[in-house]
Amino acid sequence: MKGYIKPSPVIILLGMLLLFACARDAKEENTNVPLYIRQPAHFPKPVYTFDNNPPTRSGFELGKRLFFDPILSLDQQVSCGTCHAASAAFADPRSTAVSKGVFGRSGLRNTPALANLIWYPHFNQDGGINHIEVQPVAPINDSLELGVGIANAVRILQNHPEYPGLFERAFDSDSVTAARILWAFAQFMGALVSDNAPIDAFHRDNKPLPEKAMRGKVIFDESCAGCHSGVLQTDFSFKNNGLNMGSNDIGRAEVTGNIQDEGRFRVPSLRNVEYTAPYMHHGQLNTLNDVIEAYSTSIAAHPNLDPNLPVGGFDFSSQQKEDLYQFLLQLSDQTFVNQSF
Amino acid sequence: MKRFNSNFKGWLFMLPAILIFSLTACSDDDDNGNGNGDAAASVTIKFDHGWGPNHLPFAINTALMHPATQEEITFTKLRYYVTNIELHKADGTVWKEDESYRIVTVEGNSSVQELTVPNVPPGEYSAVKFMIGVDEDRNTSGAQEGALSPAENMFWDWSTGYIFFKAEGMSPAAPNGQFMYHIGGFEDPHNAIRTTTIAFGEQRLNVVAASNPSIHLKVNSARFWHGGISLADVFSIHMPGPNATTIADNWIGAFRFDHLHN
Repeated sequence: MKGYIKPSPVIILLGMLLLFACARDAKEENTNVPLYIRQPAHFPKPVYTFDNNPPTRSGFELGKRLFFDPILSLDQQVSCGTCHAASAAFADPRSTAVSKGVFGRSGLRNTPALANLIWYPHFNQDGGINHIEVQPVAPINDSLELGVGIANAVRILQNHPEYPGLFERAFDSDSVTAARILWAFAQFMGALVSDNAPIDAFHRDNKPLPEKAMRGKVIFDESCAGCHSGVLQTDFSFKNNGLNMGSNDIGRAEVTGNIQDEGRFRVPSLRNVEYTAPYMHHGQLNTLNDVIEAYSTSIAAHPNLDPNLPVGGFDFSSQQKEDLYQFLLQLSDQTFVNQSF
Repeated sequence: MKRFNSNFKGWLFMLPAILIFSLTACSDDDDNGNGNGDAAASVTIKFDHGWGPNHLPFAINTALMHPATQEEITFTKLRYYVTNIELHKADGTVWKEDESYRIVTVEGNSSVQELTVPNVPPGEYSAVKFMIGVDEDRNTSGAQEGALSPAENMFWDWSTGYIFFKAEGMSPAAPNGQFMYHIGGFEDPHNAIRTTTIAFGEQRLNVVAASNPSIHLKVNSARFWHGGISLADVFSIHMPGPNATTIADNWIGAFRFDHLHN
């Protein structure tokens, strides 16, 4: 009977085998490691904190692949990345007023840039979407954008030769669900942090801006920063800026049904604004100088016009316009747009 | 060699035990988390859809005459969220189901749909309470699984929120011959979340170990047009608003107690 309790090599080996049998999934198949997402010290606290969606390398990689894969479009020709390219700070690199989606169909509003999305309290230019995780459902369903539909997307990815394995790595299950697709998207989009523009060095390290840009900042702070406030240059409010220029898009009112919201759109972040032409909700202004000129001379009267904006315009001098332009260039994060994906 | 031999025999002797251990060591934890273990029972809730206060036969793709408005109505779709189920005892104690989200879909020729609520603790229950809709929390906290998956197509993507119920179909009374009620909204003043508590009168639902008692409810599918709402006026609702809350008020009144099976 002694033999039973003596640690024989066979039993030790068997014991090790048992340990490995249980640990195999974690040690061999799952190469997942936590992903660190930068939260710059000079930024406010993020809105989205990944509480139920801890970011990992595999989750990020899955989200990235989904973002650039035309499999999520009805004609298999366009992806999120078609209209949101890194080189254009994740706005449309084709610089069209409105982007062309599935079957070449034109969208309704100018493609917004994507950066620092975990600081956003709502999404889309009318603020209709209340959470970063559910934002991608809109373009996936929209017949003018990707059009494939979220239920269909689940089936397509589940039947794909590679995707179930990527979901297994990211979420410890090869079962594709809408929520897992959306969590992966949130991990990728949430990791798009832009915090390396000259304006960041100014805020973070007190590094002065060039002289003209510093003068431009004074004008900006006085005339624009009431709404374009903080390090993201937005207070995330909805404003009518008098520059709708004939567009009949009712904006925020489409979501709220309130007549007071007609022609109001989200105050956009101006981060990387140099790379995201054209401008305004309908892409009605082609260049940054056009934007400055429009605010100087073309603000139209409207019942919902923001009271801080003068009807007619700010009437900037040519020096002020040039200084403002130079300031806006300080919001460009070259590291961000030069990332390769 | 002798020594090895004896060890080897001992090892062989232990093999069944080791195998059993290895099989159970990796298995998932079967505990349901309620701590009820084997004592838990399941309760079935039957939604028996009828037409009008007299519970006339109801089916999808069947022309029906509304008893109050006399308008002809043919449903092509009827789906609704039943969530946050509670069972109440006469002494006021309440059992709440965790993660309580389901969709009832009326389809085919069957007018009776069943939900099974597992892991109900034993007891004598006097009422059931549930929500038609989805609570504010799940409307505002991102991607959800199961019945709350956006792939269920009970979700507004352009203005975030669940569609609490969908009633679609045809009616010659509607201007374009069709009606589509997509009802939701979780924020005041257009909050369309409604709950109902349905008491069993003097009867008690007796939940004992391993039993499966059932609650039979009658659902008046004509109730959308309660108060004489005409399809000529209200035929398309696709966002939160006053029309949606009116229809939500009507629909929550559709559910009434019929009987229990213990």
